[in-house]
Amino acid sequence: MTAPALLEVCDLSYAYGDHVAVDGMSFTLRRGEALGLLGPNGAGKTTTFSCLAGLRRPRSGELRLEGRTFLPFACDTDRAVLGLVPQEVSLYADLTARENLAFFGRIQGVAPEELDDRIAAALTLAGLEDRADHRIATFSGGMKRRLNLAVATLHQPPILLLDEPTVGVDPHSRHHLFAALERLRDGGASLLYSTHAMEDAQRLCDRIVVLDHGRVLAVGTHEELAAGVGEPGADLETVFLHLTGRSLRDS
Amino acid sequence: MSRLLRPAAAIAAKDLRLFFRDRVGLLLAFLMPAALVLAFGFMMQKAFGGEDGGMARAELWVVDQDGSAASRAFVDDLRGLAMLEVRPAPDDAPLSLEGAEASLRKGRAHHVLVLPRGFGDALAAGELPELRMLRDPGRSLEDTLVTIGLSSAYMGATQGRAWPAMLGRLLEQSGASPEAVRSAVAAAEQTRRLMEAALGRNDGKDAETGRAPEGDGGDDGQDGGSGLDFTAFMRDMVPLEVEDRLPPERAANLSHIVAQSVSGLVVMMLMFGLVRCATTLLRERDSGTLDRLLAAASPRDAVLLGKFLFTAASGLLQLAVLFTFAELVFHVGMFRDPVTLLVLSLSLTAAVTAFGMLIATWARSLEQANGFATLLILVMSAVGGAWFPVQLFDMPLPAEVAMRLTLTHWAMTGYQGMLWNGLGWTSPTLLTSIGVLWAFAVGASLLARRLFHRRVLPA
Repeated sequence: MTAPALLEVCDLSYAYGDHVAVDGMSFTLRRGEALGLLGPNGAGKTTTFSCLAGLRRPRSGELRLEGRTFLPFACDTDRAVLGLVPQEVSLYADLTARENLAFFGRIQGVAPEELDDRIAAALTLAGLEDRADHRIATFSGGMKRRLNLAVATLHQPPILLLDEPTVGVDPHSRHHLFAALERLRDGGASLLYSTHAMEDAQRLCDRIVVLDHGRVLAVGTHEELAAGVGEPGADLETVFLHLTGRSLRDS
Repeated sequence: MSRLLRPAAAIAAKDLRLFFRDRVGLLLAFLMPAALVLAFGFMMQKAFGGEDGGMARAELWVVDQDGSAASRAFVDDLRGLAMLEVRPAPDDAPLSLEGAEASLRKGRAHHVLVLPRGFGDALAAGELPELRMLRDPGRSLEDTLVTIGLSSAYMGATQGRAWPAMLGRLLEQSGASPEAVRSAVAAAEQTRRLMEAALGRNDGKDAETGRAPEGDGGDDGQDGGSGLDFTAFMRDMVPLEVEDRLPPERAANLSHIVAQSVSGLVVMMLMFGLVRCATTLLRERDSGTLDRLLAAASPRDAVLLGKFLFTAASGLLQLAVLFTFAELVFHVGMFRDPVTLLVLSLSLTAAVTAFGMLIATWARSLEQANGFATLLILVMSAVGGAWFPVQLFDMPLPAEVAMRLTLTHWAMTGYQGMLWNGLGWTSPTLLTSIGVLWAFAVGASLLARRLFHRRVLPA
């Protein structure tokens, strides 16, 4: 049985001056699913995330959350349902892991009496219990990425926006990150996962939205996408190249 | 309201924590300003008075070609003047004319006084001995000091015996005929002799120095019986009685220049410090944390308010540390009126914080912010009177207007009014300063908020 829609993106558009980065994009994130946004560089993934996270005001289109209009740019309470994991590690290098978590917890409005428990849970999720009181500046890239994810979960948002969260991490940290994301999904969170790594999308995502030039090219499970391009059983990379073409993307 | 204040307070607390962990930042915020206040304060105190200070001193090298007792006495008189540092020192080898020329060429000396042969004889004969000055023409301040000192010593050395000749020279320069000059000089000489006679003094002075013998009292004119003290005469020529009136609210040993330099440097360094704090907004953007803050479930104005609170808190802390330091070192009476100090400091901190936020929200990059802020702060400090007391200068109207447009001017007016004039915060002068600072704070904050929404928040 198909899970109900949680977040609907309807005909979303955004332009940087004359350059249209997102061009009438529509897709649906269902409750408790991991939806992959798969596209080459410049496909519009990060801009779409920015619009969903309320960092950019869409030029046109509509966002709906559980059927009602969703305005993350204008309404700060709407943003409470979102947990953003930015592409870059966005932490304070001179604060410890615990101090970073405490700060972002307060910013997200976590009640003071719950904050310690939330921090402990986040540290466990990131596998950083024994490094809680070390400064981020002393962390490896993988540790920072794990904490970057954990920060977004402090206020227990029903939707996590993950913008290429595994870029540049070692296999151990990557494995830990995926395990953490799977736990979050199994716990009921909906994941919107942007990537251009096929194996990431294949491993984590229930369905995939293939994007290029700011448009949605196809939506479905891996099997549905493969069947859609007339190559049942093909791997995701073959399907992706079939949909997006083989020309280089340098922007 | 708490939805805005709670995250703003969290941002301010986080920034303060980071502030105290940044050793370079602490150095810039506290130690460097304290060192500058110390250096400038002592320098100004030494140069322009105060508890242990005196007049600025100019170095004067002397070539004594006469070598007479009179020329040596004249040099001793020069050594006794506060504004001159006479070289060579008494125990050093005398300076030759060639040596003086070489020192001037190498820039080691800027004024060299040559006492020619016959200096003592001329003095003894009641003539005006001709002096010669070799100088570096670019040292106008020292030139003024040397001229004042030399005039004073010269009047003292001639003991009035030369004043008929001086009168003759004055008449010559004024275009009088030679006959008229000769008549006037003769009459003056006659008058001088009558005066000497009236004082019971004859011309039987020391033939070498031209002065009354030791114990005769002729040199200091204190006994009133045997000498003409021209130095004192010049000083007392204007019937002026000087009485000191120290405002009771002012520290007894405070000099104007120390009050000026301490408050000027504190105001300037505060501006630099607070711009640095305010631009943490740009650092957040560059490091990606700003997006995380803006995507949070808090009002976006909380980010701006948090930065404002942090910047203002660090400003008050800097002011407290620097003023305490200045009080301990210079005893400027900073805490004599704590309420006025607090009101002024809050007003200044609010204004400078708003200025910093304006820069931070206007600039597209840290480099742009730092470059523009540095330029603006230096100009405001110079024009507004943080570096030197601009009220001493007769400024053209545009400069006067520019001065009144600076934060520095109003801050300096406030602190100078409190420290120097002992004014309280309810006095019209201070209320004006406080009002202008708050008007700037409110105006700049509103503009910064507008810029924050237009330029910092993504569209």
